[in-house]
Amino acid sequence: MSNEALGPPPTTGPLDNPLRTGLRLGRTPEPCTMVIFGASGDLTSRKLVPALYNLARERRLPAGFSVLGFARRAWDDNAFREVLHAAVTANSRSGPAEPDLWASFAEGIFYHRASFDEPAGYTTLGARLAAIDSERDTGGNRVFYLATPPEAYAEIVAQLGAHGLNRSSNGGWTRIIIEKPFGHDLESARALNRQVLAVFDEQQVYRIDHYLGKETVQNLLVFRFANGIFEPVWNRRYVDHVQLTVAESIGVEDRGGYYDRAGALRDMIQNHLTQLLTLTAMEPPVAYDPDAVRDEKVKVLRAIRPISPAEALTATVRGQYGPGSISGHPVGGYRAERAVASTSQTETYVALRLFIENWRWAGVPFYLRSGKALPRRVSEIAVQFRSAPTMLFADTPVNAIEPNVLAIKIQPDEGISLTFGSKVPGQAQIRPVSMDFRYGTSFGVASPEAYERLLLDCMLGDGTLFTRRDEVEASWALLTPILQGWAAAEPLPFPNYEAGTWGPAAADAFMARDGRAWRRL
Amino acid sequence: MHVTRVDISAIERELQQLWQERASEAARTGQAVTRALTLNLVARATEPQLAERISAMAHELMASHPNRAILAICRPAADAPQIDAWVQANCLLTAPGVPQVCGEQITIDAHGAATAQVASLILALLVPDLPVVLWLPGATPFNEPLLPRLIGVLDRLIVDSRELDEPARGLVRMAAFERDPGLPAGSARRVALSDLGWAALTPWRELTAQFFDTRPLLPHLRRIDRVAIDYVPAPGPPNPAAGLLVAGWLASCLGWTPLEDAVRVVGDTLQLQLRRPALGDDPNTSRPVMISITPVTGTPDAPAGLAALRLQALDGVTADFRVARADTAGHVFTTAVIAGHPPLHRLARCAEPALIDLLAAELRLLSRDHTFSAALHMAARFASQLV
Repeated sequence: MSNEALGPPPTTGPLDNPLRTGLRLGRTPEPCTMVIFGASGDLTSRKLVPALYNLARERRLPAGFSVLGFARRAWDDNAFREVLHAAVTANSRSGPAEPDLWASFAEGIFYHRASFDEPAGYTTLGARLAAIDSERDTGGNRVFYLATPPEAYAEIVAQLGAHGLNRSSNGGWTRIIIEKPFGHDLESARALNRQVLAVFDEQQVYRIDHYLGKETVQNLLVFRFANGIFEPVWNRRYVDHVQLTVAESIGVEDRGGYYDRAGALRDMIQNHLTQLLTLTAMEPPVAYDPDAVRDEKVKVLRAIRPISPAEALTATVRGQYGPGSISGHPVGGYRAERAVASTSQTETYVALRLFIENWRWAGVPFYLRSGKALPRRVSEIAVQFRSAPTMLFADTPVNAIEPNVLAIKIQPDEGISLTFGSKVPGQAQIRPVSMDFRYGTSFGVASPEAYERLLLDCMLGDGTLFTRRDEVEASWALLTPILQGWAAAEPLPFPNYEAGTWGPAAADAFMARDGRAWRRL
Repeated sequence: MHVTRVDISAIERELQQLWQERASEAARTGQAVTRALTLNLVARATEPQLAERISAMAHELMASHPNRAILAICRPAADAPQIDAWVQANCLLTAPGVPQVCGEQITIDAHGAATAQVASLILALLVPDLPVVLWLPGATPFNEPLLPRLIGVLDRLIVDSRELDEPARGLVRMAAFERDPGLPAGSARRVALSDLGWAALTPWRELTAQFFDTRPLLPHLRRIDRVAIDYVPAPGPPNPAAGLLVAGWLASCLGWTPLEDAVRVVGDTLQLQLRRPALGDDPNTSRPVMISITPVTGTPDAPAGLAALRLQALDGVTADFRVARADTAGHVFTTAVIAGHPPLHRLARCAEPALIDLLAAELRLLSRDHTFSAALHMAARFASQLV
């Protein structure tokens, strides 16, 4: 029998592997080479390579999978392997790299010394990739990962296009992962989209937001659409308001230069919190496939009542931390951070209220807040339901009965809790009690890191958990007028909250005006 | 606490008291205690050491499957009829400030003729509306007198084909149970069967399936015509159940048909002869398939279980796929050698799973495992020729 007798393997469509039937783990991606631009950087060491190693350790990567680091540093393959070995040992959730397993994984690690802006480096990159294809049977399959400062994105994309690396010549696939921030306002996001899409098709582009790789965030869709009891109450009739919080207890650390140009709105709201908002508020998709899910998310963004520059000051609250203490340790103020201007007007805290003007959510406020140097690192979505329509227990000490709250905790302890009132035995009192589900204890298995899930999804060609072009632009369209309104306003008397507190007093007043309060987290 | 004359209401009272004590104790230390039950786990032991191991596992399962464990220690050979029962809480150790999650265990210790009362006690002690899982460790689970008495309430029966004293006969019996567990005619209930021996094969099945997740290699799967399964036997007579289940899995997934008199015994090796379907529309491409199952000697500390699984296509383009234990304990080496491709190999973790992990994996299944069912029935067809 000849090779021809087998018939050419289909190049598209689902793989019908009969041995997969009944196995609980999903299929393994096809062998590919992941080219990491910015291979000497922090993201590569702290997140990407530990995630790839753990995928290999969990048997989720095929033999032949390869990593090709692209950076200026004067390293060779072996030096790069040593750097990554140390990085995995320091940063992997599974602990130090296991020697034999690492040796097997490291056989597929290579290094390509080049500058992002030198064409010659891309010519040799093409040759290097072809050599890896033939040595490791990677079939021309490539993932380009842009783990560089965002200023380099356009140059790298243009060079990849100019050197024909945006398509595989031998029938394989080519994809590109782009890290946040994707633009710094609507115009820059549109410009970057135009540059990227002049070289790659949208189906090849994976704009990553690691929040979408977290188990609880993914579970949000399962929770809403696989359980019959929640969806009927997930609307304006039963929900009073929704609070979305992403709080960090750290300051800007060594990101002062970037952060002082960005601020909390760009750094957190535009991506992580917008993602949480759309997943919370979206309608059921017609199918669990990338476009059906993202279509519904975009509809939410388009239904949000815009905040004009003139409304920016009343519809939002900004804060910047001053000196204080967190967990018993004194910390300096934001303006004393490295690479931060001493008169900086950059917000390290932001709160805003959004309304989604559709049939499901009309009139229900969504409060978003995010800040640095807050007392705890915590992220959650809290859906607060309306109180019972009549106070049946008015004669008992229950006037302060607390409303039902469904809290979806994203970090640090991923899980879901539902608070409801319950009678105290033997007394005429009602006390809030909570039903808790915790990922850490309920399944007896460790949740994978967000990057593990997202890298695997990209290799499998599943873009569901990545941001689409129209999504990123709709998000910027919503937030850019706020940035414009702030820019035109008088400077604020920053700092206006102490490090280690829950943000400026104005944020509490902002909620109090609506007769509500932030959750104590 | 022992209840000398077994009385259901006394056991229930004991349980209630146990929870009140727990709650008071927790309140004193500023902790909360939560009783959580997601299933009834009924297990039978024949001697105290096994009972201790089962009890430890029920406790450990609290992390993933909070349960009411009912552990029946049945010693029918004892002379004096006697039955005792006692209760205990199984709690997870938690971090400070986190509510403590607890399940509960009722142990019934029956001797002599009193063992006949055990099934009726269990029936009365089940938590309503929760799944009922019966775990029967041991060599002859289907001879267990509890089984027919509890079948009407069971959702899942868990056995272990690695422990069967007559593996061929046991596989046939398992397949018969899977087909007809003995429920009353017309019953709408279904009883799923789990085999911890099958569960232990999952990493091997995954590693084998992974070869064919690759588009260029997938077509070779339909061309496989030789399979070699090596296993390290446990002390005692060789038990080829795992090998037969792997053979059954491949045959049922790939549509291979056993030939008449498909099984031959050559020394310690079992040889199975099958026929694979034609490739595409050409009937001439149907070919014989040979599977061998061979016990091999492992290193002194090698655990019993699969040692290597090799799939080959020798007719035409040669393709050779192999998963084999590596020198590094708890790891395997996977190799794919296909004409026209560079050889592919890697080291992968594949530790022998602990019993608790196998049990937890089976408890995660909510319904019948159809892949197991098809593999088991095919394995039983082979095994029936060895009986």
